[in-house]
Amino acid sequence: MPPIIDVKKCKACGYCAEICPLDVLYLNKQIRKLIVRYPEECWHCKACVKDCPVNAISIRYPLSHMMLHFPKEGLK
Amino acid sequence: MKTYNCEFLCVGGGVGGLMAAIAAGKKGADVIIAEKADTRRSGSGANGNDHFHCYIPECHGTDTERVYREIGSSFDAGPWVDMELTKVWIDRSFEVIQMWEDMGINMRPTGVWKFEGHGMPGQQLYNLKFDGALQKSCLTREAKQQGARILNHIIIHDLLADKDGRLAGAIGVDISEEIPETVMIQCEAVLLATGMVSRMYPSITPAYMFNTPCCPATTGDAQAMAYRFGARLVNMDMLNGHAGPKYFARGGKGTWIGVSTDIRGNTFTPYNSKPSRATGDITADVWPTCYRDRLKKGKGPTFMNCTETSPEDLDYMLHTAMVSEGIDSITDYCEHYGIDLSSDMVEFGTYPIMMGQRGIEIDTHARTSVPGLYAAGNCTGNVNGSLCGAAVFGMTAGEDAADYVKNTKDISRIDPADIQKYEDLYQDLLSRSDGAHWKEAASSLQNIMNEYASADQQSEDMLNAGIEYMRQLKANCYKELGCSNSHELMRSLEVLNMIDLSEPIFLCSRNRKETRGPHVRCDYDFTDITLNGKFQTIYKERNGTVHMDYRYKR
Repeated sequence: MPPIIDVKKCKACGYCAEICPLDVLYLNKQIRKLIVRYPEECWHCKACVKDCPVNAISIRYPLSHMMLHFPKEGLK
Repeated sequence: MKTYNCEFLCVGGGVGGLMAAIAAGKKGADVIIAEKADTRRSGSGANGNDHFHCYIPECHGTDTERVYREIGSSFDAGPWVDMELTKVWIDRSFEVIQMWEDMGINMRPTGVWKFEGHGMPGQQLYNLKFDGALQKSCLTREAKQQGARILNHIIIHDLLADKDGRLAGAIGVDISEEIPETVMIQCEAVLLATGMVSRMYPSITPAYMFNTPCCPATTGDAQAMAYRFGARLVNMDMLNGHAGPKYFARGGKGTWIGVSTDIRGNTFTPYNSKPSRATGDITADVWPTCYRDRLKKGKGPTFMNCTETSPEDLDYMLHTAMVSEGIDSITDYCEHYGIDLSSDMVEFGTYPIMMGQRGIEIDTHARTSVPGLYAAGNCTGNVNGSLCGAAVFGMTAGEDAADYVKNTKDISRIDPADIQKYEDLYQDLLSRSDGAHWKEAASSLQNIMNEYASADQQSEDMLNAGIEYMRQLKANCYKELGCSNSHELMRSLEVLNMIDLSEPIFLCSRNRKETRGPHVRCDYDFTDITLNGKFQTIYKERNGTVHMDYRYKR
């Protein structure tokens, strides 16, 4: 579940955890690691993606949030 | 326990709260903003907006009566607002725009005033297309420059009175660390501005309750606090919701450039037959519940159809407008899952109830019925509470509160004994680390609201049953709920607030013995013309006596 942290890029600065509107992210200060603690509470707003200083975060859009779409030309 | 003192406390650091802090700070008031998340990226305007509903004289002319009439009849105003407040919003909207431009918010991305979306047939366009992607960080910077102290990660849970029963402060919890800490703020005036109520009814994907069109952190905390403190609420019987893509709940419908059609690509209203960047698709502005209504009548599915939209407009919609609006997760989703809007139609749905612009009654100065208590934004019940309304009435509240606190210096200290019951509640919840999880309570809350205070049809018997079930749920929560950390305590307090807020919804719905607009009663299936032009209000005395009344729209 979203968001996904690229551990190779993440500097564990904790900014994303500070600004997440839903308190989804958590910085474990002891091990200096960013943890996606409450993934089901993610709103997919992308605040963390936009504000990460090292572009270490991406969002995975879950299958539960399927955007229904249908081809205008109809079923083939 | 941490304690703070200030003159004016803004509860909620959204557009309303930040504008109130800025306005009060300019007039010399000592201001604190308490925000559940972080004011730079919190709430429904976290990542932007791109429609600022406004009146700019050089664009719309000097015939203000025409402007009042046209905006007053639009989707953003709606029937459940007081015209005297709508006029304040309209009159002061350009002032806010100029202020925002000075703060660095890009109000004219193309260099000129440009209006797009939510266009009504035969009317001027009033929705300014701007770039709000950084609006919250700009407003936060300005609030600090005006001297406001910002306390992030604090959920304010209740208002406090002095020994004479006058508003004297607020209590809440600091959730910035794993172990929560009680926070008490003593002040003379309070603004409540915490947005709508996103999680009181099941989401469009009930298993995922944070899949909501507006920010799921907005849980009616302001409305619940106001009700408990004796402030008057209004229009709580007029359940409303939003519309957008199924099952990816997201507001910002006006940003889509397309037309609502059936599965064959046929339109079903007389307004738009071709996509228009200027007006947007106004089907759901004119007929807000069209997607749900058509489904129920067997006429679904209904789509947002962008297949006739030009490639330039599609590119603009997905990569510029949706970014400015803060809904570019839609863009990402389409790209990731290979949805090509030039050939794929996106099914739209009417989202469940979220009670925006249903709540605290305010006057033209954003005052509530309680002296020293103000409200702005989507937690208010008788004026547009979205972006522009929140900004204008936040500003108005801040100005008035700065004057109020100068003349209100005799508020007594809060009695520590009054704090103890909150400390006891928080300790009770935290002591039951193996108690019931807040999601269990939220699930029951949503189920009861959905069936017994239904958006489809209500009856006295069902409402009476719902009132009783909600009392049972509340009692069970106080006995069983448990939390293991700050985050869970915040979520639990949110649920308790929503349970309290269910009371005025049930009572007002039961008391409106007629069918009108979104209020559908199977036991009173007629419209009572003696209630034409009237709003229902409710308030509760501290002794528990509830008063409901109808008053004329102002």
